[in-house]
Amino acid sequence: MLHGAPFFFTEVTMNKALRNPLTYLLFVLPALLLFLAFFIYPVFTAVYNSFTSWNGISQDKAWIGLGNYTTALDDAAFWQSVKNNGYFILFSCLIQVPVIIIFSLLIAQVKKLKGLYKTAVFLPSIMSTAVIGILWGFIYHPDFGLMNEALGLLGIEPVYWLSDRKWAMLAILITNSWQWTGFYIIMVLAAILSIPAELEEAAVIDGATGLQRALRITLPLILPIISVVIMLSIAGAMKAADIVLVMTKGGPAGSTDVMATYMIRYAITSFKHGFGNSIAVLIFVFTILITAAYQLLVARRVERMDSR
Amino acid sequence: MRTVKQTIPHVFLMGYLLVILYPFLFVLFSSVKTSNQEIAASPFGWPSAIQWDNYINAWVNAKISTYFFNSLYIGILSACLSILFAAMLAFAISRMRYHRTSALLFQLVLLGMLIPNNALLLPIYGMMRQLDILDTHLALIVPYTANAIPFTVIILTAFMRSIPGEIEEAAVMDGLRPAGLFAKIILPLTIPAIVTIFIINFLGNWNEFLLANYFLSNDALKTLPVGMVGFRDAYNTNYAQMSAGIVFSVLPVMIIYAILQEKIIEGVTAGSVKG
Repeated sequence: MLHGAPFFFTEVTMNKALRNPLTYLLFVLPALLLFLAFFIYPVFTAVYNSFTSWNGISQDKAWIGLGNYTTALDDAAFWQSVKNNGYFILFSCLIQVPVIIIFSLLIAQVKKLKGLYKTAVFLPSIMSTAVIGILWGFIYHPDFGLMNEALGLLGIEPVYWLSDRKWAMLAILITNSWQWTGFYIIMVLAAILSIPAELEEAAVIDGATGLQRALRITLPLILPIISVVIMLSIAGAMKAADIVLVMTKGGPAGSTDVMATYMIRYAITSFKHGFGNSIAVLIFVFTILITAAYQLLVARRVERMDSR
Repeated sequence: MRTVKQTIPHVFLMGYLLVILYPFLFVLFSSVKTSNQEIAASPFGWPSAIQWDNYINAWVNAKISTYFFNSLYIGILSACLSILFAAMLAFAISRMRYHRTSALLFQLVLLGMLIPNNALLLPIYGMMRQLDILDTHLALIVPYTANAIPFTVIILTAFMRSIPGEIEEAAVMDGLRPAGLFAKIILPLTIPAIVTIFIINFLGNWNEFLLANYFLSNDALKTLPVGMVGFRDAYNTNYAQMSAGIVFSVLPVMIIYAILQEKIIEGVTAGSVKG
């Protein structure tokens, strides 16, 4: 009976069995409600509150139009925080990405110890950013931190890494890339290892050197994944907050604030909830603008090269 | 010449390894030293005498056990809830016959991936206060569960779509209804994807700092990352003890990583390409 059933018969039975409005509703509802409550609704309340002078507690919300936005855009400290988000992005694109490419190529090449390298390189990215911030705060300690001791061997004077405006941002950027570089190396490595071996072999027969093979064959083939790495770095840079909070709390004197920590300072610590929400909306807008610009200017070209 | 060529990559890679692993070693050595003076005198060296007291003091002072179990149960419970709800939605989208509604729902959930969740901290804080659950573990469990839903739905839907239709036809012929089909056939077949996603969600919850820092103020409720930062702020003059605290908080993750590293690497990198 089962095997002899004509096609339309099974189709009808299946449709009947798998169309049950009540069951469908019950299966969809829990996740959907959570999603609407924590993703869609907050976006609307953030936008609405950003036009008010609400302190986050009282019942009355005074509508002040674009007041919060003009305050933010006139505040030098806000632009400092935007600049620091920019440093996050620049540091990952100009310094982290080349390092990622070089080390993933190196790991792909070696035959021995590949597993060890993968395991060790990936390790920091599964750790809590808070704990890594604590650990590196210790490394940066001016008197007995590892960093100054190592620099001391080279005859360099102790640097007050986290309390000197000149160095604090760089110190955070180094810690951030220490945590995430290995993660991206593993992503790029996976792409390199999935390149068919024949391509490499053919190039060897044609007499290409290792460097030529890396530049002419591997690199063009992994451009799409590098583009993804850059996108993820941008997204990560716009979200950065916990590393700054743990290492410097935005100090000294706001010099390491990023947009998210600037927002938190005003909204939660000094009860300017409406103002904080306008920063949230600005983070949102900047993220969309940068992502769109990147997609239009760079990612498209990479895809075109890829399809060539 | 050939051997030289083969060693050069290893030299660079070993250098990288040193940069990654030495900080952990530094903390490990420091954690059994007597005092800040000893750390300052020989930061690279072995401790002169092993000082286990630091571990006992850190365990007591940093209340590691409290924070550890808070993080553990919040992390596991939220990860399980997200997977349950997301799996139900994924089942409805991928296997039940309401194709148009399902396509719409899926697009909506995809939209969630584009929303930077840090920026939603304030509205969610407001919601938690209105619900009057600030300063209870629910203020973390509910948002953690919700935050993981878009990503979990996307991965599970992709996985469930790939299950061949013949299996469910046979099950329906045997008289199973949708709920039974979900619980007895589809869910068990999805276990491999669920394990991977569980690890990603759990690690995300375990490491989460922002919500945990601002939504809870009662010390006994704090999670490990927040507790550790508080411990550092309170005992930042005793680096040996602080190092022992860092070892305690890093060790469980290291052990899990040692056992499950293949799954973790695969899962976390798969999770990242979501954007």
